[in-house]
Amino acid sequence: MNAIITNPIFLVVVGTIGFAICAPIVGCLLAGLERKISARMQGRVGPSILQPYYDVRKLIEKDDVSVNGADGIYVSCALIFTFLAGGIFYSGQNLLLCIFIITLAVLFFIIAAYSTRSPYAEIGAHRETMQVMAYEPMVLLMAVGFYMATGTFNVGGVFFLNTPMALPLIGILIGLVFILTIKLRKSPFDLSYSHHAHQEIVKGITTEMSGKTLAQVEIMHWCETVLFLGWTGMFFVWGGPAFLLVGIVAALVIWFFEIWIDNNFARVKWKSMLKWAWLVALIAGGLNIVVLAFI
Amino acid sequence: MGFLLLFPLAVAVILAIVRNGAARRVIVYAGAAVIAVASIVFVGMHIGSTGEYYEFESEIVNIVCTVADFVIAFIVAFLAWRYKKWMALTLAIVQAALAAVFVAGGWEAMYPVAEGLYIDSLTLMMAAIIGVVGSGIGVYALGYMDDHHDAHPAIKDRRPRFFGLFFLFLSAMFLIVFSNNMIWMFTGWEITTVCSFLLIGYDQNQISVTNAFRQIVMNMLGGISFCCALIYCGVELQTFSFIEFINIGVAAPLMVTVPLVCLSLSGITKAAQMPFHTWLLGAMVAPTPTSALLHSSTMVKAGVFVLLKMAPIYAVSFIPSLMVVLIGGITFCLCSFLAISQSNAKRVLAYSTIANLGLIVACAGVGTPEAVWAGMFLILFHAVAKSLLFMCVGTAEHHIGSRDIESMDGLFQTMPRLARYMMLGIMIMFIAPFGMLIAKWGTLVSFLEAPTPHVVLILLLAFGSGATFLFWAKWLGKLSGIAGNPDDVETTVHSSEWIGTSLMVVLCVICCVAMPFISDIIVRPYIEGVWGQYFTVLGSDNLWIASICTIFVVAVLFGALGRTSNKKHVGVYMAGISYDNDQRKFRNSMSGVTTASSRNWYMETLFGEQAIDPMGTVICIGIIVAAFIIGILSWQGVMIPGIPGLM
Repeated sequence: MNAIITNPIFLVVVGTIGFAICAPIVGCLLAGLERKISARMQGRVGPSILQPYYDVRKLIEKDDVSVNGADGIYVSCALIFTFLAGGIFYSGQNLLLCIFIITLAVLFFIIAAYSTRSPYAEIGAHRETMQVMAYEPMVLLMAVGFYMATGTFNVGGVFFLNTPMALPLIGILIGLVFILTIKLRKSPFDLSYSHHAHQEIVKGITTEMSGKTLAQVEIMHWCETVLFLGWTGMFFVWGGPAFLLVGIVAALVIWFFEIWIDNNFARVKWKSMLKWAWLVALIAGGLNIVVLAFI
Repeated sequence: MGFLLLFPLAVAVILAIVRNGAARRVIVYAGAAVIAVASIVFVGMHIGSTGEYYEFESEIVNIVCTVADFVIAFIVAFLAWRYKKWMALTLAIVQAALAAVFVAGGWEAMYPVAEGLYIDSLTLMMAAIIGVVGSGIGVYALGYMDDHHDAHPAIKDRRPRFFGLFFLFLSAMFLIVFSNNMIWMFTGWEITTVCSFLLIGYDQNQISVTNAFRQIVMNMLGGISFCCALIYCGVELQTFSFIEFINIGVAAPLMVTVPLVCLSLSGITKAAQMPFHTWLLGAMVAPTPTSALLHSSTMVKAGVFVLLKMAPIYAVSFIPSLMVVLIGGITFCLCSFLAISQSNAKRVLAYSTIANLGLIVACAGVGTPEAVWAGMFLILFHAVAKSLLFMCVGTAEHHIGSRDIESMDGLFQTMPRLARYMMLGIMIMFIAPFGMLIAKWGTLVSFLEAPTPHVVLILLLAFGSGATFLFWAKWLGKLSGIAGNPDDVETTVHSSEWIGTSLMVVLCVICCVAMPFISDIIVRPYIEGVWGQYFTVLGSDNLWIASICTIFVVAVLFGALGRTSNKKHVGVYMAGISYDNDQRKFRNSMSGVTTASSRNWYMETLFGEQAIDPMGTVICIGIIVAAFIIGILSWQGVMIPGIPGLM
């Protein structure tokens, strides 16, 4: 029995199911809270905290229409792999595998947009691909730094640390927060699609998605938020499960910071995004790794 | 083993003589089937081998090899004379002279190699790749070459020579992987060089001749370098046994620094690393089966095979290791950037090959068991996926009339099966849970776990991987587009082409799904044979998760996406002024009709050849020159303070 419970594959399965149930709830509340906070920053009252939930419920009830029938399948795959990536992370398994699986999810999302052959969706897909290229090096460097600090790629390794990872990995943390702005689709890097109403590419990558497909995209976004906040939170956890609370608080502070950035910066062009993301990865991430390797 | 060496040779001779198309078809089918089955049986018989050496000495083979070396030099010299390529002529003469020096030295007779042939699990894996993938491409070539000559009537039909060279190539590859005698290995090495030279020049128009000579010049440099290593072995080490060379190298790295740098240079030229990458790009002018053969199962794989064999020496030999690691890493990163700027599908594939070979070269240079684990998987997955992709591009080219990625818009409907094959090939190349990325994952882990972490390599890998995502994802996106109901143009594809591509699809899926299993029965025995113990790189649980995901994605690609959905269909959004949604036409401000069109991003200014190519070439030439100078100085006993491994 013990052998089954500690079997990594079993843990991943349980983690994935757990994540698929909990992450949408937490992510939905976070999304509601975010809209409230944003509204207050702009001097508005803002919608109810449950507004994202009402939105998605309405989407699910809508007519099932599609431009080709294939995009829905791709988006479902993206959602399933997002669950899996979250499951791998929150069951304390391999961080690199989690990163690769979430990249697979993004790829399915991109193909879904490409498959519609809609001009607006295609431009969104181009930009999304560009965004992946911009943040991917830093994400990989995060995993490398994680290994150097903990001696393992298993997320559970943080519980055996004497001090939080944020201390030796301060450069990598800065780099991660920087690219998190891209991953969470916040201005100034919300190039492929934005939560704000009208923009030059309509709704970008999601232009042709509607009804249940769009609902899945929303749920995926909630789950991604929960996963990425987990990535930042793990930098502040050490010593044992009791310190998880520190991690959660730290993740929420970073999340608030991202909302603040979202509300205070105008969108940039792709070239600046690529340049800045790579520079930050090279300088903050690269230097951090060099220091860890040789000191 | 003797069968695998000689049978393709016999087929080659027959095919070179037979002029009749129908007879050739039968011989190629039969020959390919026999070679594929024989190599699988051979691998099955020796599975799990940690290294077996066979007592085999033969005066006849020695003479044949020596004669072959001179014949090769003569062929090259003759053609160079005819086409007035003086550089190639000079190199051919230099090589012949070196071979003459070698014969005059008489070392071959003085230090005979008792165990001429050997097998270990790396050899087995290579044999399976050469035998199965190579013959699959041979079958594919039957149909392809028919279309090739239909499409280009001006080109003279030299198919007997083409297929003859094709099977000779396979035979030479077997010779390289089975020989423990480095002199025989050198002969195999040179035969592959000259075969690919002749295959690249098949069309014999100006561009293919130019590119063929570029190939021969670069690979002759590698050959000369190999020859120098052999002479050094004769003078200083007094052995031509590859395994003894490796053992001496591990025990006393300083003794082999010079030949190791020489052999590394030959490996790097063969594997088309910067600054020698241009020959592989030029080779794209050849008919597609040639490209598939060069990229997947032969030629470039010979280069990385030799480097990977020498991994234990690199682990203890600082300068050669640094040279190989840096060149591999820089090539991976820069060629991934370069691939972004290409819209010609074959050039994208070429750059991706060079980049992936760079990764394998870097793994060899790191030289730890973990790195070799990753390197072997990179070789395997690259072979199956890249041959699949080349075949798909070749077939698509004959049916849509272009090899430009932008023209592959909507291939998902016009060539449904081929597009899915191609999508699978692309996904295997760059995304988890498929093999190539899992192998890359192993690469990253091995770079990190090396005695001193290779920080520069890790950075090159991280940025190169970002670029890799971009250039594959945008191609994949182009393929996936669905609009309207265009005609299916796939029905006219030759059955031999379907056999070739379908075989590769099956191999790809098997390799990806069975990866944990392959790790245990092929890669593990090799590592145990060389290092005496095994190190887990990724953990089988992670591999199994990946293989389950693979099954899921393949099922989606070939199953779910084929169904017609019962959803209500609507047109795409055209800002409310659609004219014809399927054709992406809309009403413009003058009430006329405009077609919306979009191209992928190629970012010429950032990642174009003009921007990146010279940089990589200069840096890599500098690295090679520096390695040679330091290597020779250290051989002469000059101490260079501050460089470890030389003290």
